[in-house]
Amino acid sequence: MKNRFFLVVATVAAVALMTSCGKVPQANIDAAVAAIDSAKTMQADIYLPGDFAALNDSLTVINQAVEAQKSKLFKNFKDVKVKADALTVVAGELAGKAVVKKDEVKAEAEALMTQAKALLEETKTLIAKAPKGKEGKAVLDEIKGEVTVIEASLTEAQTLFDGGTNYMQVLDKVKAANEALTAINTELKEAIAKVRR
Amino acid sequence: MRGSLIKKLIYIILITVFLGLLGWLFIALIPDPPLTELELASKAVAQARDNNSVIYSARLFREAQSLYDSAMISWRTENSRFILFRDYERVKMFASLSQKKAAEATTNTIVRANGMRLSLKTEIESLNAEIAEFEKVFLSLPLTQETAKKHARGKLLLREAEIDFNKGQYVSGNVKVTEAKEYITASYAYARRTLEDYYKGYNRWQELVKATVDESRSTGSYAIVVEKIPGLCHLYHAGKKKYTFEAEFGSNWIGDKTSRGDMATPEGRYEVTKKLSGASTKYHKALLLNYPNKEDIEEFNYRVQNGHLPADSRIGGLIEIHGDGGKGGNWTEGCVALRNNDMDVVFRHSKTGMAVTIVGSTITLEKYLSTIN
Repeated sequence: MKNRFFLVVATVAAVALMTSCGKVPQANIDAAVAAIDSAKTMQADIYLPGDFAALNDSLTVINQAVEAQKSKLFKNFKDVKVKADALTVVAGELAGKAVVKKDEVKAEAEALMTQAKALLEETKTLIAKAPKGKEGKAVLDEIKGEVTVIEASLTEAQTLFDGGTNYMQVLDKVKAANEALTAINTELKEAIAKVRR
Repeated sequence: MRGSLIKKLIYIILITVFLGLLGWLFIALIPDPPLTELELASKAVAQARDNNSVIYSARLFREAQSLYDSAMISWRTENSRFILFRDYERVKMFASLSQKKAAEATTNTIVRANGMRLSLKTEIESLNAEIAEFEKVFLSLPLTQETAKKHARGKLLLREAEIDFNKGQYVSGNVKVTEAKEYITASYAYARRTLEDYYKGYNRWQELVKATVDESRSTGSYAIVVEKIPGLCHLYHAGKKKYTFEAEFGSNWIGDKTSRGDMATPEGRYEVTKKLSGASTKYHKALLLNYPNKEDIEEFNYRVQNGHLPADSRIGGLIEIHGDGGKGGNWTEGCVALRNNDMDVVFRHSKTGMAVTIVGSTITLEKYLSTIN
């Protein structure tokens, strides 16, 4: 009787031991996936692409670890659970960082846009003051045409900026416009200075 | 009693050994999980992704990714079976193929990205050269506003492509450079064609200039030769060039004048019909020309009769060489404008009946282009 009792206790203990760590921590994995999705919603894939790719790599490792444990006779998902929880935390942090980065890029694009608009106005004023020497009118006409195109490009950039989808694209567009305007501006200032000398 | 105890002990040992062997056999028969293969495959896919294979080798990368997914699905399927019945061969096969495809994508990406980088660099350099030539050669031509806009748009797109190039974004740089090329090449081609078409009159221009200079030589008189392309007015005496001044023309100066209000400066052999100064001209001093001459009238009538000009068109007149020039560009309504000081010299040496020949250029297009470049 006593022996049978010990046998039952031993069996229950063995089963408990074998099953206690043998369940896939699905809730933890789902939380990690949700955190990655949330980071993507915050556009971490656009503003912090390297870090976002690392999150996906970690999820791949977790999925592999799950299947590796499932392949064993005695399963242990403790490590998977720890990794999934860590991933949830990191993904959450990255979502926050993406928001900060996006705000930084937005501020940079906004500042550059303001600079470009000021440069545009200055260029228009310089055009009016520019000397009209030999071929001067033709050059000025060309410059005027160029400024019109740049202005249209800046309007396009403003529309993209107002849409708020991707401030990186806005930044590139405004950078190009700014470079072109700076070149025209310098050319005009040099021409005006030459006449004054 | 003792014998039965020994017997029992032997049984227990035998059963334990049997169960132990059975357990060992069971464990030995469990197939090894394909973890290493899957790890290698996922690392290869990640590497391909990191070097932008999704852009440069999209098909290979998609295949690698899909094979990896198939490996994981097969692994899950096998894991759902009884432990001894699992077979990971298909999983390993998918993983190995995925790794191979990903490695292929990586290699292909390196080659393609490098090729694209080089071709983009060449394209950017060549378009920049085209822009520089356009601005040097064609800027002074009376091109359409549309052409100038196309040129400016192409220039801006090229700048955006350069930014992409510097960031290593060769695909989007390539897209922008292709669009920029369309604009730049179109405006360049239009300008070049305009100039080439204009230069079709070169032989006639040569004849006209030669006749005028010969006449000046044989009569020992003064004559004026005006060249539109370099924007010059030459004063000849006895066949020799005495003075050269800068000249400005009608805003639509390329080509011959066809009708009133076309803002073109006529081309051909003319004569001074009147010398105007003081209150009789508002442009300092002026030499009125006999435009339209007989040839111009014939040409005008032909154009009207053949519908090249509206029936109510008028031929125009009052074409002069006058002062108030030096404004830059071509601003007159068809006259030739000189600086007042230069006009004084021309006016002093001219008289009624003096030959005035207006042509496109006295040098060939090739020579003109090589001089500019």
